[in-house]
Amino acid sequence: MPLHDTHADQNLLQQLQQSDEQALAALMKKYYPDLYSYGTRFTTDAGLVKDCIQEVFISLWQRRHNGGAILSLKYYLLRAVKNKVLKSLHRLANNTHLDDWQDGHPFLQEFPVEKLIIEKQISEEKGMALRKTLAQLSKRQQEVIYLKFYHHLDHAQIAELMNISRQSVYNLLHETLQKLRALWQAEFLTR
Amino acid sequence: MKDFRLYDITDFVMDEDFVRWVYEQRPEDDQLWRNWLARNPDKHLVVAEARAILQSLYIAPPVIRNEEIQAETDRLLQTIRQQPMEIVEPVEPPAKLVRVRTRFWYAAAAILIVGVAGITFYLNKKATVRESYSWENMTASRSLIEQVNTSDKPVTIALADGSALSLSPGSRIGYANYFDSGEFRDVYLSGEAFFEVTKNPDRPFRVFANEIVTKVLGTSFSVRSFEKDTTIQVIVRTGKVTVYSRAVPTTKRSATDHKPGEVILTPNQQLVYEKTGQKFQKVLLDEPLLIVSKVTEQKMEYEDAALSKVFSELSKAYGINIVYDSELLDKCTVTADLKNETFYHKLDLICTAIGATYEIIDGQAVIQSNGCQ
Repeated sequence: MPLHDTHADQNLLQQLQQSDEQALAALMKKYYPDLYSYGTRFTTDAGLVKDCIQEVFISLWQRRHNGGAILSLKYYLLRAVKNKVLKSLHRLANNTHLDDWQDGHPFLQEFPVEKLIIEKQISEEKGMALRKTLAQLSKRQQEVIYLKFYHHLDHAQIAELMNISRQSVYNLLHETLQKLRALWQAEFLTR
Repeated sequence: MKDFRLYDITDFVMDEDFVRWVYEQRPEDDQLWRNWLARNPDKHLVVAEARAILQSLYIAPPVIRNEEIQAETDRLLQTIRQQPMEIVEPVEPPAKLVRVRTRFWYAAAAILIVGVAGITFYLNKKATVRESYSWENMTASRSLIEQVNTSDKPVTIALADGSALSLSPGSRIGYANYFDSGEFRDVYLSGEAFFEVTKNPDRPFRVFANEIVTKVLGTSFSVRSFEKDTTIQVIVRTGKVTVYSRAVPTTKRSATDHKPGEVILTPNQQLVYEKTGQKFQKVLLDEPLLIVSKVTEQKMEYEDAALSKVFSELSKAYGINIVYDSELLDKCTVTADLKNETFYHKLDLICTAIGATYEIIDGQAVIQSNGCQ
């Protein structure tokens, strides 16, 4: 995340500490799309995701005087929304162990391969091969990719958010990139 | 300052600046990368493949209407106005919870409590998973004066021993408040800073930046070590610095003269430390700077001068080692005007004159030639 962005967040958090409702509203407006995008990876129930986002911001407001610096607000919010959504789903499904559920949670990810074909960035044939490769990616690989290339989180944040080690994050990314390299290599002859 | 010449496809795909260029298509990035590719034509294929991979992984943002964002914001403000209660202490969550969505307003109070307990949990969790070379571990149990640059410009900080440093935006520095006594002058860095260190051979000046320690007696240099980066970089402007990694076991760093875990850097050299592989790589800066006065450089005009003299003067002007076979190139002479040229252009001119080529290996210029008649 660009640095000025972090500064803007820290300013808003300071205003929040002084009970400035407008600062809370500004943070909501800024992060709603990112949080909505992430929340709807776990469920198609948009209403549930919206409620969870509300709750996360309400607790942010409620604990505004508690001090405690939040270094990366975006990471903090993503984490809070993920946990809330998974917990709600878990309650609804009446599952036995939350831990099992967290490990096995769904991750709904679509890569717009069609768009690349339509925009003539890749051929129809290549698009087919690409779709096949992407379809073979595991849920975890997809989540790592989503957090890394969509939200631009660093490896440490991704590791914590997914409850895995940094080495696993690296491995998941590496495996994915190897698959894609195999797909593109012939095209560019870099080997 | 990153050196993209060292990057392979994976490095490019992982680099946030590169990703921004591919995904956001800003004109200023476009210009930058075009220029870079023009200077590094051998990287075209690597860059093209890295671009293709990133494009395959593009994820479209969700379509959300502004009205929806506004409605959710209004709903939030309405809730907090109806719930003036504040919770200061974390509270155990109640055993059973009702589904939030159906009775939202009614259940709000219970949810708040869960929220606070949840947050405490994340913070605790975070503390245990932290990296062993993080800022917190580096500075824990030391009573330090800490300064953080939250502005968007570098800030100059003077130290008690007469040294000074320029702290980059988003960076943090810590040093003991008894800085002017003790065996070492130690500072702790997270982020980027340029140091000008006053000479004191009795008390080495050390910069701890994550797992990398840079040790100097008196010199100027910069260190870049943001926790999110995959590399740590040290650049030397003048003098000589020693760099070693705390991640490399001390048994490998024997007390003999040759220490495998240690790297010595001279001016215009840049050290890149890869955190995952724990590897050092020495490269030269893209545009090495003169370390002698401009007046000295103005004397670099040669007529039938011995090659050894030209190389020796060039080497001194930039503090860069030039490696060549002095016996083989004994007969070579140079006639050239090297004033006001960059280091690489000077080297080009000399090599053209004597029909040689050069390569930059391990931060030195290595000359290859069949000799002169």
